[in-house]
Amino acid sequence: MINVDDLIDQSSGAQRRMIYADQAIYEQELERIFGRCWLFLAHESQVPNPGDFFRTYMGEDEVVVVRQDDRSIRVFLNTCTHRGNRLTRADRGNARAFSCNYHGWAFGLDGSLATVPLESEVYFNEIDKNQFRLVPVERVDSYHGLIFGCFDKNAPSLGEYLGDMRWYLDVALDAMPGGTELLGATQKVIIHTNWKLSVENVCGDGYHLGWSHGGALKATQSGDFSGFTVGNSSVDLEGGMSVAGLNGNSVLATLDGVSGYAFYPNPTLALKYLSENRAKAVERLGKLRGEKLWGSQLNLTVFPSLQFLPGLNWFRVYHPKGPGKIEMWTWAIAEKAMPDELKQQILDNELLTFGPAGLFDNDDGDNLSACTVQSRGWRTRQMPVYTNMALGRSGKRVGLPGDIASGVVSEHNQRYFYRRWQEHMQAKDWSEVPQYNLNPLEASDEQRTVQTA
Amino acid sequence: MNSALSKPLEGPVMLAIDKHLALQQQLFLEARLLDDERYNDWLGLIDEAICYRMPMAERRFRKDRSAPLAFGGGRIFDENKGRLTMRVDRLQSGLVWAEDPRNKVRRIVSNVEIWQGVQTNEAEVHSVVTIHRSRIDGEEKHFVAGRRDVWRETAQGWRLVVRDISLDTSVVLDSNMNTLF
Repeated sequence: MINVDDLIDQSSGAQRRMIYADQAIYEQELERIFGRCWLFLAHESQVPNPGDFFRTYMGEDEVVVVRQDDRSIRVFLNTCTHRGNRLTRADRGNARAFSCNYHGWAFGLDGSLATVPLESEVYFNEIDKNQFRLVPVERVDSYHGLIFGCFDKNAPSLGEYLGDMRWYLDVALDAMPGGTELLGATQKVIIHTNWKLSVENVCGDGYHLGWSHGGALKATQSGDFSGFTVGNSSVDLEGGMSVAGLNGNSVLATLDGVSGYAFYPNPTLALKYLSENRAKAVERLGKLRGEKLWGSQLNLTVFPSLQFLPGLNWFRVYHPKGPGKIEMWTWAIAEKAMPDELKQQILDNELLTFGPAGLFDNDDGDNLSACTVQSRGWRTRQMPVYTNMALGRSGKRVGLPGDIASGVVSEHNQRYFYRRWQEHMQAKDWSEVPQYNLNPLEASDEQRTVQTA
Repeated sequence: MNSALSKPLEGPVMLAIDKHLALQQQLFLEARLLDDERYNDWLGLIDEAICYRMPMAERRFRKDRSAPLAFGGGRIFDENKGRLTMRVDRLQSGLVWAEDPRNKVRRIVSNVEIWQGVQTNEAEVHSVVTIHRSRIDGEEKHFVAGRRDVWRETAQGWRLVVRDISLDTSVVLDSNMNTLF
C-alpha cells in the first residue's frame, strides 16, 4: 500500500502531483475509493420499465443496472460467469435475458443462469447453475431517483454516506413533486486527464470561470453574471458560498435564486417557470432553500465522482480509465414538473453549453489534460500543486450545514475533496474512515423537510 | 428470376454537369475555408434558415425494444444561423486558449454524391468527412462523419440549407470540438 500521509498537506492546501500520474496510487484508488464508496449508477428515469437495462461502470468494473419484473432495481457485474466475456454490449435497451456472445449462456433479469447450451450433452446435467449466477453488486439503493451502488458490504447506508448533503441535494432533486428525470442519450467524451482534476474543476473552482471560459462568456453574453468575471480576484463575495465538510460532498452556490440559468442564450422560459413555482418550492423546501438556492447556480458534488449543476442542468459522472484517462458521461437533468417545452430547451441548452461540443466544456479539456501530463515528469511528479486560496477563512452559518467559505471563488471545497481522498486512501476499511457533517442540521431545524423514502 | 436486378434501378437525378461541378467545387472550397479558420467567409455560404445538426450516437441492439426517449437523444449540434454565429464568435474571441497556438485542421471530404433536390433549385449532397486535428506534441485526433446536405442555388451561388451530420463514434474521442463539420 502507498502511504499517502505526505501526498496531501491540509495545513498548506498542497497536493503532491504524483497523485495524478502514479499507477500504484490509481490501483489503490480503485480499491479504497471506487471499491468502497457509493457510486452513482443510473437515474430511475433511465430504466422505467421491467427489462430495461443500462450499462455503466463502477471504477473500471462494468455493471448493468436492470429493472426487475417486480419493478425493483438489481445491478450485476456485466460479465459472463463462465469465461468472463462481456455480457451486454448495448449502452441501454430492454431485454428478457442476457445472452453471452461466446458460448450462448443466457441469464435472466434476476441474474439466474437460465440456459446452458448442450447442458445434458456436454455437462451431463451436472452443472450447478446456482453457482454461476451473475454476480450482484453488494449494495444498491436510491435517493430521490438516483440509483447508487456500493461494492463494500461494510459501507454506511446511502443516507449516512450522503449525510447533510441531502439538505442541499433536495434543492435539486425534491423541490417539485415528481422529482427529476435525465434527458437525452448519454453524452460520452474521452478526456486524457486524472479523474480528480475533473472533479475539483467543478466541485469548487469558480476561479477558472472568468478566464478559462472567457470566449464562451463573451459569445453567450453572460459576462456580467454574478461578478464572476470581474478580473479574477475582485468578485462579489456576497454572491455565493462554498460548502464542504459533508463527508467529502460539497456545494458551490450562488444565492440569488435565478442565476443557474444565466448561461442560457435565452432563459425566459426557465425564469417564468421559476417565478410561477417559487411559492411551491418555498413550501416544500422552506424559505431559505426555496428562495435563495432553488434556481441558483449550484455545483453539487457527491464524492467521489458524481456532479450536477441544476440551472445549467447538466448531470455528470466520471469513469476512470487509468491514472491519465477518463470517460466523462453527461446528461441534461430536469424537474418532471417542468413543461415539455422547457425540458426540450434544457436538453438543447445543456448540449450547447456543456455537451461534447459545449461552448464552456470545450475550454476545460485541454487544461485538465495538461495538468495531468505536467504531473508525469520525473521532476514534476515530486512537485506540489496548491489549493490554498482563502485558507482558514471559513466557518459556520446558522441554518446551513457544512463548513462554509464566502463566495464561489475559493479553493475551500477542493481542500475538503483532497482531505476526503486522503482519508479514504489511508483507511484500511470503512471503520477507519471518519464521518463528519460539520455544523449538522438538527431534526428540529425548521428548514428541514421530511425525507420521503 | 423476378429479382430487383432485372428492373432498371430508379436512381435519383443528377444535376446538369456544370452545376454539379460548381457545387462540388464549393464543397472543397468550404472545407478549405474551415481548415483555414475563415469562419466569416464560411458563414457567408450558410443560408439564413440553416439547420445544422449532429445527433448523439448510442450503441443499441438492432432489435432494441426499449421505449424511445421522451425528448429524443439530444444533439451535439443543433444550430441555427444565430447559434453558428455564436460558435464562430467564441472561436474568434481571442480567448479560446486551447486554440492558441493553432491546432492545424485538415479535412478530407470524399464519397461526394450530388443529386437533384426536392425543389428545382436545390441539391441533395451526401459526403463523408474525415477531420484530422494536429494537436500539441504530435497528438492527432480524428473525427469521421457522414453528412447529408441540402444546398440551394441563389443569385449569389449555392447556399447550405440543411446539414445532418452523423458522427460514427458513440464516445467522442477528443476533449473539445473546436471545429465545425
